[in-house]
Amino acid sequence: MSNNQRIKVLVSVIGLDGHFTGAEIVSRYLMDAGMEVVYLGIYQTPEMIVSAAIQENVDVIGISSHAANYEQINLLMELMKKNNFSVPVMCGGSIPPQDAEALIKKGVSKIFLPHSTSESIVDYIVSIVKK
Amino acid sequence: MKRQTDYGLEIKPVYTPEDIADLDYAKDIGDPGSYPFTRGYHPDGYRSRVWTRRMTGGIGSSKRTNEQLKQFRAMGQTQGMLIICDRPSAMPIDADHPMGRREAGVLGWHATSLLEFEELMEDIPLTGQSITLLGSAPLSALRLGYIVALAEKRGLDWRKVHGSVSEYPFGHIFGQTDNLPLDLNIKLWLDSTEFIVRNKLHIRSGILTQHFQESGGNNPQALAIEIAMLKELLGKLVNERGLDFDDLALIPYELVSVGSRFFEEIAKVRALRRMYAKMARETFKAKTDKACQLLIAVHTSSRTMTYQQPLNNIARCAIETLAGAIAGCTAIDNACLDNAYAEPSPFAARMSLNTQHIVSDETGVTDVTDPLAGSYYVEYLTNKVEEEAYKVLKQIEDMGGMIEAVKQGFIKNLMRESALQKQRDIESGERLVVGVNELVIPPEEDDKIPIQSVEASDSEEIADRMANWKKTRDIPLLKEKIAQLYADSKKGYDFNLMPAITEAVKAYGTAGEIIGVIRKAYGYHYDPLEMINCPFEL
Repeated sequence: MSNNQRIKVLVSVIGLDGHFTGAEIVSRYLMDAGMEVVYLGIYQTPEMIVSAAIQENVDVIGISSHAANYEQINLLMELMKKNNFSVPVMCGGSIPPQDAEALIKKGVSKIFLPHSTSESIVDYIVSIVKK
Repeated sequence: MKRQTDYGLEIKPVYTPEDIADLDYAKDIGDPGSYPFTRGYHPDGYRSRVWTRRMTGGIGSSKRTNEQLKQFRAMGQTQGMLIICDRPSAMPIDADHPMGRREAGVLGWHATSLLEFEELMEDIPLTGQSITLLGSAPLSALRLGYIVALAEKRGLDWRKVHGSVSEYPFGHIFGQTDNLPLDLNIKLWLDSTEFIVRNKLHIRSGILTQHFQESGGNNPQALAIEIAMLKELLGKLVNERGLDFDDLALIPYELVSVGSRFFEEIAKVRALRRMYAKMARETFKAKTDKACQLLIAVHTSSRTMTYQQPLNNIARCAIETLAGAIAGCTAIDNACLDNAYAEPSPFAARMSLNTQHIVSDETGVTDVTDPLAGSYYVEYLTNKVEEEAYKVLKQIEDMGGMIEAVKQGFIKNLMRESALQKQRDIESGERLVVGVNELVIPPEEDDKIPIQSVEASDSEEIADRMANWKKTRDIPLLKEKIAQLYADSKKGYDFNLMPAITEAVKAYGTAGEIIGVIRKAYGYHYDPLEMINCPFEL
């Protein structure tokens, strides 16, 4: 990515989870930090998320999870591999430690736990996209 | 650190009689049991009946949730039960739907057929305790059908069952899973409520602000939204369905989210009783006292339960339970120590029920009704939160009421801005949360607690069972009932679908099928996710 391009982040809630507040607030933070956000909203299947990410050619995918539906995130990771689409996937939400660990093993790059600061999220994205 | 209420009102170091100089005891407060019911509905308070001490249950299959319920009963939860459903049921889609298969039983009980309700209630009485089923608006009509069907099977009079199995049509605005269009959701709510009233069932419908507040909305906004929702929904039942307000007033109950700002939360509940009573009398010309009393239950706020140092949540839960008890309520269900992780483990559930019993049986809180009445501070806060709430209510009404305000995005915006403000206050340190931005410890030193989980294989099992079981049903009977439901759904917005839904439920029609057929009759896709087609020829 060249320096004069804005970082493009896809933000989505996954599966049947209806909790959108976290995803909306994080989207706001990212936009305030000058990033471009593709916000998909709720009821997005892993298939829909991967296809949007490819189409929009995003730099990072952010998944908000407040419904313990980690199986959907696992499927997302598998689908990305299948499609040879490789960008960092980060998750945020109420994710218990052992599930967080399992997601990292599946290839999720970072888990932001409840009460993560906006600064820590923005800094992280900047650091991985610049790599 | 901020010294302001949750809606930004500056708090002074001390309050005196001057702060409530205009307060007229008889007119504005009244004794417990007297209009405007600021102090509660019963002159004897908890001496006549202690609040129902219950836990939120529901995880995995109906059989697993049945086991959990029995555990809760053994822990002393015998006055009433509260079970929430999983996300597929909330949509609603069946477990054997391609997306249902991935999340069945996750975060709640899979609740899409009468079979599952029968299994949930095996060896558990339908009467003698309140039955509360929550988690989705569209499912309300089916759950009502479950109650009717199971009561009939057990040879019980429907009217002997009490509790709440219906809920408000606005939950999805506040982050609850539910993909039914708003107009259809409202229609089904009106149908099920009319059915309850006309059949004199002792079943209530939750018109809740819990979800709004758990998503970040503040106290006066919650009060305004509660009154706006009630005014519009009850108004429709009076004007469009010809029901009498005094009969209707026995239907709604409110689940208030009580957070950790102790005095403000107590003031909020007191103000709510007064605001509802005034609306009942002034707007709806309520004739009886009973019709001026909004039943209020308390949920100790999930939002305040932290991921970090989860054992700290025991203290938060105790403080919030005490606030709910002092405020006056009919039932409390606690968000408890593992709330930021998962559905309550047996360890957390026992801790939580015991917390309620410690508050009710050891502190003396049940001895005296509304003990904070007359406190300069609490009365001042009660007045202020009410005053602020009326300002928000006026904005909603100027837009044309709750439904219009939702459609214009006003309600969601209130919630988003308020949530953002709360998050900023924590990030800036204006509000302190122990374990989060104060007295933080490294994650590796954090408390280890047991966590309930549902594996992918559990969801698959629920899905496979449903797929196989569906084939064993009396298909001709089911087709007949589904055809009737489809025909009735074509008869217009005011034609009540509850009789046809109940018949379809008894023929073991599922939520995906029943709501799907209604959706189809109204011109929507059968499947809320548009992935599968209607299996019936209609």
